Amino acid sequence: MTTPVLHSAPRYASHEGMREGISAALGAMLLDSREQNGELLFTVRREAIEDALRLLRDQFQYQQLMDIAGVDYPSRLERFEVVYMLLSVTRNHRIIVKVSTDETSPVPTVTTLWPNAGWLERETYDMYGVLFDGNLDLRRILTDYGFEGHPFRKDFPLTGYQELRYSEEQKRVVYEPVELPQDLRNFDFLSPWEGADYPLAGDEKASPVPPAPHAQPVPEKGGVVDTKNPVTRGAPTVDVPQTTDSPKETGAGAKTDDKAADHVAPGRVSKGTVSGQGDANPDPVETDIDAPGAPEATESRPGRDADDDVDRDNKPESGTGKPGRSGEGEGA
Amino acid sequence: MGVDQQNHRTGRPPATTVPGAAHNQILHPEIRQPDGVFYESLTNEVSDKGYLVTSAEELFQWARTGSLWWMTFGLACCAVEMIHVSMPRYDMERFGVAPRASPRQSDVMIVAGTLCNKMAPALRRVYDQMSEPKYVISMGSCANGGGYYHYSYSVVRGCDRIVPVDIYVPGCPPTAEALLYGVMQLERKIRRIGTIER
Amino acid sequence: MSVNLTIDQGGAPLGEGIQSYTLNFGPQHPAAHGVLRMVMELDGEVIERIDPHVGLLHRGTEKLIEYKTYLQALPYFDRLDYVSPMCMEHTWVLAIEKLLNLEVPIRAQYLRVLFAELTRIKNHLLNIGSHVMDVGAMTPNLWLFELREDLMNFYERASGARMHAAWFRPGGVHQDVPLKLLADISDWLDTRLPTLFEDAMSLVVDNRIFKQRNVDIAIVSKEDALAWGFSGPMIRAAGIPWDLRKSQPYDVYDRMDFEVPIGTNSDCYDRMMIRVEEVRQSARIMKQCLAEMPEGPIASDDRKIAPPKRGEMKQSMEAMIHHFKLYTEGFHVPAGECYVATESPKGEFGVYVVSDGTNKPYRCKIRPTAFSHLQAMDFMSKGHMLPDATAILGAIDLVLGECDR
Repeated sequence: MTTPVLHSAPRYASHEGMREGISAALGAMLLDSREQNGELLFTVRREAIEDALRLLRDQFQYQQLMDIAGVDYPSRLERFEVVYMLLSVTRNHRIIVKVSTDETSPVPTVTTLWPNAGWLERETYDMYGVLFDGNLDLRRILTDYGFEGHPFRKDFPLTGYQELRYSEEQKRVVYEPVELPQDLRNFDFLSPWEGADYPLAGDEKASPVPPAPHAQPVPEKGGVVDTKNPVTRGAPTVDVPQTTDSPKETGAGAKTDDKAADHVAPGRVSKGTVSGQGDANPDPVETDIDAPGAPEATESRPGRDADDDVDRDNKPESGTGKPGRSGEGEGA
Repeated sequence: MGVDQQNHRTGRPPATTVPGAAHNQILHPEIRQPDGVFYESLTNEVSDKGYLVTSAEELFQWARTGSLWWMTFGLACCAVEMIHVSMPRYDMERFGVAPRASPRQSDVMIVAGTLCNKMAPALRRVYDQMSEPKYVISMGSCANGGGYYHYSYSVVRGCDRIVPVDIYVPGCPPTAEALLYGVMQLERKIRRIGTIER
Repeated sequence: MSVNLTIDQGGAPLGEGIQSYTLNFGPQHPAAHGVLRMVMELDGEVIERIDPHVGLLHRGTEKLIEYKTYLQALPYFDRLDYVSPMCMEHTWVLAIEKLLNLEVPIRAQYLRVLFAELTRIKNHLLNIGSHVMDVGAMTPNLWLFELREDLMNFYERASGARMHAAWFRPGGVHQDVPLKLLADISDWLDTRLPTLFEDAMSLVVDNRIFKQRNVDIAIVSKEDALAWGFSGPMIRAAGIPWDLRKSQPYDVYDRMDFEVPIGTNSDCYDRMMIRVEEVRQSARIMKQCLAEMPEGPIASDDRKIAPPKRGEMKQSMEAMIHHFKLYTEGFHVPAGECYVATESPKGEFGVYVVSDGTNKPYRCKIRPTAFSHLQAMDFMSKGHMLPDATAILGAIDLVLGECDR
């Protein structure tokens, strides 16, 4: 190892010469070997895993199979890795042996070498759907009776598809689709400059869009307008709204502009624009018609006695109100 | 009544000659137990008349709260605290609350721990086997609402989806004292709403 | 709570036509140590086959860990083997430190070993107590639980929680312990533990009934123990002196002077007696820790991994930022993979971590001790009587939280 070992994790016999020796013995079965984080890892061909582990057990004294782990890398062609952790009690050494597989190609079982591989393979099958050729008891082990799917696959949602409830009508426990009152809040903390591969909110604005039909190039504070080559992408003109909000949130946009136009007196002549605000101060123009949509005057409403509304709120306790209305019922 | 009590007390042998007298509260009239007056009047009534008069309702409540045998439904971590509460330090049996391994003989089920999908039908089955009146204490966050495992694909988000729950004890896990308090709250609840009907 | 599993046959011999029958043990059974279900095939009272059904406490821990940062995933380990929480944490923090290649201050290493051994005692007390209760004795359990209460108090004084401490952290431990606590642990080791524990054991170890129920039950050969992936007291009972604290020492175990008890007969009695002796050896290690523990920091000074002290945070803006970043984003672990196994009270407890360089583990495979042991339940109990099943189960030291994950 080039870097000094600072951590205090379990220390076992050194890897000195182990990698070369085992690599030579595995020969054609070996695909790759590396040493990393103080672990010795060997990748072998899938078909040869049983022979490889038998050789390691019998010739290299790895007597114990401590664990079998499945790992899912969905981007790979063979998406699953099956990882075997071996321990040598006599040489006080550990190695990791891997094979890769996909959903359909089975891995040869190692129950022929270690009886405890049975449950470990069952678990890998249960969690990832990796098939083991030769395992006579490849049932599900950890998940619910009648469970569907393989929960540790990366495309299986954490919350699953089904949940349980006791049904008072059916007098038994029933399965229903999952309904969460509050979803899991999952933050990945990936930097958008480095790792994240999904669009961030607001990224869509940076995408090239054709210039809006109404967006005429305008001079910016007395600048020269190049009408032939309107620049809309790369160096946005001031006409493009500088906002981080979407139209949906602010209510701005073409629809609103159309609606707003109904309320503005026609025949306006724009003298120019204020930077970033469009036609902000149109000149008032004298016309025959009123501004459209203006409400009626509210002074006197038809069918209503003008006096009726007076002092509704400050009506005196008794007697002094309007005699015509309030007196009748009470006096009777 | 007060005079009777005085006579009753002075009629006892002198306290100092009895071994272990320092801890015997009957021999030390100045140290009173919280319910001393109540129990003394009860004793007097029985010794005077030879019988007691009470309402049937009170009698049933007394019987129900006095011997809450709990069904040991230890599922996960909380089960350890549940065992601790019935062990000498907290000694829940002094309240008549004793563990029972059979659902048919138990009155209250303490759901202690994460209830998983695979286990839920068994939990309901045990609950159905318990005899009326039956109560459920949900112990710990996992049983209350899934807790730390709420978003898991294999966990029931609260045991109240499976059985009706009377008392929720919060904590992960709740301390033995918290469970003890929960049991006492259940006793209170039984006293408050208890009826003769099953 | 003591339950005898004897089935009432009504005294009638089995008919010729009935060869065997199937018995469902659990999932709710006091002797099942949790939610284990075993489908047993019996010939009379003799066990022919056992098919343990696990997964009744499968909570999807490994999947949940993939959605949590390394630090947020730590408390899941407490809840795996809830009888020995800190030993579970130990594996996890060592695995993270191995990937980070992070140095841990020497006082933190001593504190970890001290509390790991305290946890081992805590675990064995429960297991010994429930084992003797499974075979019919009540009193020792009561006494041992009194000791366990003391240990829970120590936990509480160190971490604030009676069980799920979350006290071991990557880079050290969460907080330093008060001096009085160390003094009290020392007193407890000198006075209370020997008195109560030895008293309780004097009732058990030479007891005729206890021996009848345990000696020569479930004998496992050395070869079988290796092949079935046994570890911990189970493999030591088979006569193989294999203890990861000795052979693959982590933290300051290489400085400790202790002995590894091994069995001669490899039966349930040996397994039990190994745990009894391990309690004494753990007490010995704890005493050494208390005597040798130096002063100093209790967590790494790498501020990208271990948070600053609270006092520092109130003075330094940088410390404040570090604290905020650590408890929201967490730390990033360089891409790589490793398998780290420690000697938990039940055996080899391992974690296989795959990191993809982010702040969350890409994959975390937990190697439960009980998986191998429980799987061997079938061949260990073959030919034994039904009541022996509880003794075998008790001697395995099974906790389903860890087995099912």
